[in-house]
Amino acid sequence: MNEERVYTVSELNRSAREVLEADFAEIWVKGEVSEMKRAASGHLYFTLKDESSEVNAVRFRSRTSALAPVLIEPGKMILALGKLTVYEPRGRYQFVASILQPLGEGVLQAAIEWLKARLKAEGLLDPAHKKPLPPFPRGIGVVTSPSGAALRDIRSVLERRWPIADLYLFPAAVQGENAPDDLVAALDRAGRFSNQARLLDVLILGRGGGSAEDLAPFSDERVARAVFACPIPIVSAVGHEIDFAISDFVADLRAPTPASAAELITPNQIELLELVASHIARAARALMARAARPSDRLRGLLRASFLRIPDRRIETLGQRFDGLVERLSRATARMFSVRADRLVHLENVLRLSDPHLPLRRGYSLTFLKGSEEALRSTSGMTPGVDIETQLGTGRLHSRVEEVMDE
Amino acid sequence: MTIEEALAKLEQITQQLEGDDLGLEQAIALFDEGLGLAATVKHQLKEAKLKVEQVLEKTQDTFSLEPLDLP
Repeated sequence: MNEERVYTVSELNRSAREVLEADFAEIWVKGEVSEMKRAASGHLYFTLKDESSEVNAVRFRSRTSALAPVLIEPGKMILALGKLTVYEPRGRYQFVASILQPLGEGVLQAAIEWLKARLKAEGLLDPAHKKPLPPFPRGIGVVTSPSGAALRDIRSVLERRWPIADLYLFPAAVQGENAPDDLVAALDRAGRFSNQARLLDVLILGRGGGSAEDLAPFSDERVARAVFACPIPIVSAVGHEIDFAISDFVADLRAPTPASAAELITPNQIELLELVASHIARAARALMARAARPSDRLRGLLRASFLRIPDRRIETLGQRFDGLVERLSRATARMFSVRADRLVHLENVLRLSDPHLPLRRGYSLTFLKGSEEALRSTSGMTPGVDIETQLGTGRLHSRVEEVMDE
Repeated sequence: MTIEEALAKLEQITQQLEGDDLGLEQAIALFDEGLGLAATVKHQLKEAKLKVEQVLEKTQDTFSLEPLDLP
């Protein structure tokens, strides 16, 4: 005997299986289905052939979709993704199909699905990797073609919603043979630019609508990995609403179109001003409520404040308060002319809730002595009753001499 | 002050005015500050004009910005 190894049959089949599985782990095979058998186990056994050869194939039940038996029909041309293995007990090698596509259509789609599944298995689609988007981005990068519709759409949305932003274009071809390399280079450039200049808060990667082939670069594996590696939050916006690309899944956010990407990442300046207006209105109401506390307490505060105000600032709090109301009206009118109706309301609130303004203009409030409630009519009044009158400054104590009903 | 900071400060002022038991002087001063912040935000947005620039890389890691005129 020489030293060459002697295999048992089992060892031979196992070694053959290991070699085949390693060398043909992920392969596409196209061919015509020549026969198909559904086993009791649910697996689908079929044969693929061309003009001169055939190969045994199986689609295991766990992977069998409702569509599989329709696709695996004798006479049909199909494209299958899978691996080659050896069925050791019989020493027969067979192709284990995982993805099936009718040949001639949807090949691209199948390749995309396959890539997506692979990236998902690697964790690239994991929500844990998604970076949060900044609520008020100042620097917005765009990786797209300088001449495409995407850039123009993004620009016009930003001009309307968030003109305070700066738009940085990283030009790249978005379709054709060079597009994947170009996109990868632009993404990489944006990342390095951001690390160096710290000017980018968010990045939009995208293009306008086109054919499936036109959009294919955004489903390129290299592009997907560049998106994943990018240090800046990325929004992927490829084509129209119905279009999906791998970059959509790897990106931190998917937008249906480039224009909606610009909307999704920016606040609306009109809404923001309304928010500011509502804060001012709330603050004004709170201030009024504060100032409109029982008048004796307010007077006490005013008096106390007078004592603290130095002579060179002889300016009563009351005057300051008037001036403030006036300024508030003017300032809010200027700022929020779009909300004129609200402003009118606000001004009314201001006027009505400050009891001292009318008093300063010469109106007065009359109370039954000892009562906190102002009199609204003469009902119940008789000569000889003690009353108190609150003026702009000071209070009068009087006695009713005559009651005159209207 | 950025818009973000101004908004946060304004919100804080509103909450203070609504919640805290402030002296009238202090309340008025806070309100004044709020008005100033609102004016800042408005001013920044009013003056804003979208800037569009192209980022070019002449040599590795040397970037230059060029204004981009879009039709």
